Formats: sequence, structure tokens, C-alpha cells
Amino acid sequence: MIRTAAAWVLALGIASSANAQVDLSGVWAPYRAGRGADPALTPPPPSPIVLKPQYAKPYEARRAAEDAATKRGEPLATAAVSCVPYGMPRMMAVALYPVEIIQRADQITMVTEAFSEVRRVFLNKPQLPIDEVPPGYYGRSVGKWDGSTLVVDTVGIKESVLSYQLMPHSSQMRITERIRLVTPDMLHDQITIEDPLALEKPVVYTLAYRRMPNYEMVEFICENNREYVDEKGAVRMKVKDK
Amino acid sequence: MIAHLRRGYGGQARRTAVWIAALVVGVAAHARVSAHHSFAMFDTARRVTLVGTVTAFEWTNPHVYIELDVPDEKGDAVKGGAVKHWSVELGSPSILQQGGWKFSDVKVGDKLTAVINPLRNGDAGGLLFQVTLRDGRVLGNGPGRGGAQ
Repeated sequence: MIRTAAAWVLALGIASSANAQVDLSGVWAPYRAGRGADPALTPPPPSPIVLKPQYAKPYEARRAAEDAATKRGEPLATAAVSCVPYGMPRMMAVALYPVEIIQRADQITMVTEAFSEVRRVFLNKPQLPIDEVPPGYYGRSVGKWDGSTLVVDTVGIKESVLSYQLMPHSSQMRITERIRLVTPDMLHDQITIEDPLALEKPVVYTLAYRRMPNYEMVEFICENNREYVDEKGAVRMKVKDK
Repeated sequence: MIAHLRRGYGGQARRTAVWIAALVVGVAAHARVSAHHSFAMFDTARRVTLVGTVTAFEWTNPHVYIELDVPDEKGDAVKGGAVKHWSVELGSPSILQQGGWKFSDVKVGDKLTAVINPLRNGDAGGLLFQVTLRDGRVLGNGPGRGGAQ
């Protein structure tokens, strides 16, 4: 009990500052519901995706085509098949790949093991108007502490970089993350996606991560990609003759 | 040698004397979370056992590969048999390390037994389900994947 309390004091970094900061530094692995997971630590279920009609129609058609292709054993390709990075927000939860958080007073850097993606969160800086941010994979992120929760605002994600659940979005998408320690070794990232052009209402979902003490991040250079996309848009694997 | 399996993968799987290409043994309980592509091109309801010699082991991203020469039931060419080459896809180095693998676990020339989910299109390739290494260790295809977990 005493050790737990001490760990919390350390984790919360209780300082003389009125704006007590939490140390999020470390390597974190996605923690998913299912076998062996603690139900008390798994995140709540996500809200539904409700797109505006002009976005919903092609999205639903694509999902139906994906389902049919998967049933045929000819899964449709996504950009990742060609080793194109995921970008925000999908980069924050790729299979079991860890995310390293490096924390400074003025910046938090997140490095994902899958595809070695890097995003930088500038602390205590104002966000730019969306239309002044060059569209990219990670956009521009600014953060501030709300008590012991890090609140990150991200805009400027390219429309070609598909969003949560391969959801389409407009240039006006805004991603708000509320990142906090729920225990010293468990992190939750509640993600809210707002898009006044594409979404009828915000999408909210939470990612959970467990701390990986002493884990050494490994490199990920996509040098030996044997998957390719055939003329029907399906993923295939090249085999060798010898 | 290509065999079908008589029993489950939790213990030592024994091969039958009947040499066939594959056998449906039930749907594998694989996690369907992928690094960069769907696994639907592999028939996860089927498992094929390959007993052969490693010609290459590529510890690379986005996937690790084992290249395997697999003789038929007559044995290798010296014994009058034919050898078929197979490409076996594994997870990435990161995922495999989390499942107990090391980059040095497989060497060219190793004789090993690989249980795979074959490609649906009939090409000589598949997704690793479980492998028995030269030293007898049994490894799956990363955490939660394969009978060795």
C-alpha cells in the first residue's frame, strides 16, 4: 500500500508548481480488451461513427467491398500495404507495437515502433488556424496540462490519410486527446474526433496502454515488403522459387 | 515433407504416414490484428506442416521470412525425390521478439518443422502458425499467435 502510494506520488510528480505535471515518459504497449485483460483497466467502448451522407455513402460502400473481398480471401489493400505510414490518429494503435513517449518541459515526442513514426506535441503554444497548417500525416499538435491530464489538440491531417477505422475526413478534422495515467503503469488516451464537414457528431474512443519497463525500442525499416496490390486492388504475397 | 496433423499443437504434433498437401483442422484462434495488411489471403482454417531445410532467414520489416526447401515423401533429389520451395511469412521482428524470438534462432541449413496457414491462391507460401526449431524449441508467430503460446 505504501509502495503504491509512493509510486503515485512519483508518477504524478507532485511539485511546488501549481501546475503539477505527470511524467508520461517511457515505452507503452497497446492494452486491449480480451484474454487476460483487467476489465477495470480496459477502455470504455467507442462511440459510433456517424458520417454526413456525402461521406457515409462511399465509406459504407468501401466497407462492404472490403467485407466481400475478405470473404473471398482477396483482402483489399490499404496504404499501409505499400509501407506508407499510418499518420494520425491510426498510428497511436497499430497491433501490439509500442509507443515511446519522451517528455520535456516544452515538448512531448511520441515515437511509434511500427513504421518509426514520430509526432511532436508543442507545449503551451497556441494552435494555428487549421487552414494555416500544411496538411500532413501528423498535422500540428499543441498540448497543455489540465491538472494531471495532458490535453493535445491536433489539426492539419491530409484528407488522404484515413482516420479512425479508415474513416474519411475533411481538411477541417480536429483531434483532441486527453492523456492520463489511470495507474502508474497504465495510460489512457481518450481521443475525440470532430469534423464539421464530415461527421454528424464527434467520434470518441479511448486507447489503453501498459508500461513496458526496460523495453528497448527496435527499428522498423520497411525494406522487405513482399506484399503487393494486384490489378483488382487485392493484397497478394510474393513467393520465391528457391 | 508435407504432412497433415493428427492432433493439436499444444504438445508434440505427430505426422501421419499419409502425405498430402493440406488438411482442414479447424479455425485457428489467431488474433486478426495486422501490422500492415489483412491476413485474409491466408487460409487460417487450414494448417500445412512443412518439414524442410532453411535456405534463407530474413529478419526484416515489415515481415520476417523463412525460405524452406521441402522434399516430397521420396526424400531429396539424391534419393530420387522432388523438392518444393516454400516462402513462410512471420510477424515483424518487434512482434516476434515479444513472442520470445531472436534474430539468430534460425540459420541457413537448419532442418525444421513449420506449421503454416497456406495462401488461398495455391502459391507455395503461407503464414507461420508454429515452428519447431533445430534445438527443439517450439515458437509461435508472436504473442497470441500460434499453438506455442
